[in-house]
Amino acid sequence: MASPKVEPAKVSDGFAIQTLNLTKIFNSLVAVDSIELNIKKGELFALLGPNGAGKTTTINMLCCLLKPTGGTAKIMGYDVLKQPFKVKEIIGVSPQETIISEHLNCQENLNLIGRIHGLKARELRVRSQQLLETMGLSDRAKDQVRKFSGGMKRRLNIMMALIHSPEILFLDEPTLGLDPQARRAIWEYIIQLKGKKTILLTTHYMDEADFLADRIGIMDEGKIVALGTSTELKISILEKHTMIIYAWNLTQKVINEMRGRYEEVEVSDGTMMISDKQLDFKEIVDRLHTYGAIVRSAYIKEPTLEDVFLHVTGKELRE
Amino acid sequence: MRFWEFCRRNLKETYRDPLALGFLLGFPLLFMLLFGAIFSGDTTPNYPIGVIDNDGTPVSQAFVDEALAEVPVLEVSTYEDAASAMENLKLGNISAYIIIPHGFGEQISRSWQDEEANITLEITYDESDFMATGQIISTISAVTRSFAHIEVPITINTNPIHIETEITYIDFIAPGIIIFGLLIMIPTSARIIVHDKEKGFLSRLLTTPLRPVEFISGYSLCLVVIAIAQIIIFILVGWLLGMDIVGSVGLAFLIFFLTGLCSIGIGMVVASLSKSENQAEPLCWIFAMPLAILSGCWFSVEMLPSYLRNVAYAFPYAHAIDASKAVITRGVGMEVVSNDVLFLAGWTAVIFAIGVILFRRSMRS
Repeated sequence: MASPKVEPAKVSDGFAIQTLNLTKIFNSLVAVDSIELNIKKGELFALLGPNGAGKTTTINMLCCLLKPTGGTAKIMGYDVLKQPFKVKEIIGVSPQETIISEHLNCQENLNLIGRIHGLKARELRVRSQQLLETMGLSDRAKDQVRKFSGGMKRRLNIMMALIHSPEILFLDEPTLGLDPQARRAIWEYIIQLKGKKTILLTTHYMDEADFLADRIGIMDEGKIVALGTSTELKISILEKHTMIIYAWNLTQKVINEMRGRYEEVEVSDGTMMISDKQLDFKEIVDRLHTYGAIVRSAYIKEPTLEDVFLHVTGKELRE
Repeated sequence: MRFWEFCRRNLKETYRDPLALGFLLGFPLLFMLLFGAIFSGDTTPNYPIGVIDNDGTPVSQAFVDEALAEVPVLEVSTYEDAASAMENLKLGNISAYIIIPHGFGEQISRSWQDEEANITLEITYDESDFMATGQIISTISAVTRSFAHIEVPITINTNPIHIETEITYIDFIAPGIIIFGLLIMIPTSARIIVHDKEKGFLSRLLTTPLRPVEFISGYSLCLVVIAIAQIIIFILVGWLLGMDIVGSVGLAFLIFFLTGLCSIGIGMVVASLSKSENQAEPLCWIFAMPLAILSGCWFSVEMLPSYLRNVAYAFPYAHAIDASKAVITRGVGMEVVSNDVLFLAGWTAVIFAIGVILFRRSMRS
């Protein structure tokens, strides 16, 4: 689960973000409990966990907003404690709350962040035009953003993290509170960035982590409790496979035959659920036909990240 | 210039918000007009004058006790000598004094007997109060002529002097009101900064390479523009209400400007110490209101017991009022107010230094 430890002084070239025993304690509450993360350059890493798991606190320490109580982190080799301004130059942050300057228009908001990062006028114009087009806000560039919808503000929030082409991108709950359509649009944009930027994304939507991330760290109560690719995580908890079959003519004979061959067989309302360590899709369908059942549809159920979370923490991943 | 970009953003946030702008510029306007209206009431004037009777004859006594005392707009008091009358004139207790020369009674008697007479009175008055003096001189002239039963004008040797301490009411109150208006820059500054803090905008920018000094200069430059606009409004409205700046307008502006800067600095310190607007606002008023009272915005610091006066002078506002009053009403130059101006500048420098330290500290929690 935990990645190999890296010596603090030496920065392995492949890693863009490294945390070393990173800890944050608020009064007596341990918000982040000595986490060790190694995120490769160009990787899209998702921190998945319920609210209050410590995801935002972790991001805030990485982007130099919060001082760690213990340990430290390195961003492209720069220590967040010793070289915060070096770190700030190479990161882009899209905070969880939509934070934009309400009385400024879209373009002015982008200009502000761009200029603070030292972008030249021409560069700024080209970059913001590109961003406005991809994010579908070109025609609203000159409108004051207080009139924007939640989804538009959210997109601007992300654009402000991207205007200066940062090497490292922190996206804290990028689609929080958005409707499915707006979420999809943002996902598609994030997919485009994959491989070009190192992205650390936090989310409590498992489909988001599943869809976007190269690797996922499941976080709970300040700790990384599981880490790996989506498939790795799912396989890691896979003790049994489950197949769901919708069929006609599921006679008692059929059921008894199947119960004799597989560990668990449950039937209800024309649906048969078969669980075992090994399942062969074709074999099961053929066997059912042999015994006279007519299979209408069948599939092997994949475990979800929800199952993984339940397995690792014993809790449901819900808001 | 990163701070300039940030400052521009702050200005836009302010002037594009009609409510905020209305408050920032409308408030000083309303404030000055209100005070102006309160203190320019049209009550019947009553002029206190002094009389020194060097003649000492029954005729001159009758002139004082009967003729002058009968005039409703005059309030006559007698003095032994010119020196004590002059002192009272300087203190503003009387608007003018008349010296009845030796031989006045004799000349009046001649006039009564239709003989040629040379009646002389000597009036000393404060020329800065020309409305009053015009009325006093013409009144005395009329009274004397009727007393002497003559139609021709009598000789009145007028002796105008300019007394610096004698000032109109608006001149007297305007500096205090303006300084109070600039004291209100404390909550104004704190509110603008804490608003960003509360909304998370400050944190958002703290993830960028913007440095503490740039934050401070970006905010203060924006606030300085607001302060300058307010000072211009204050001076213009004051001028329309009859305040005249006897001394250098530039010097008066400098004093007001430093005062505004000081308020901005204090506002920033309060903003660094508070987490929300709800915290910052009362904190500012707890600081600003007693200071306004102590510093002499509404009444003179001289009225305070000495220990409170010491407290008042530990803060910049009492100095600002003293200095601006001296420039506006007495026309003094930099050499007279330099101590006050230096005190203001020193305070401003110290408060800004504290602001930078606190801001830097609050940057990483």
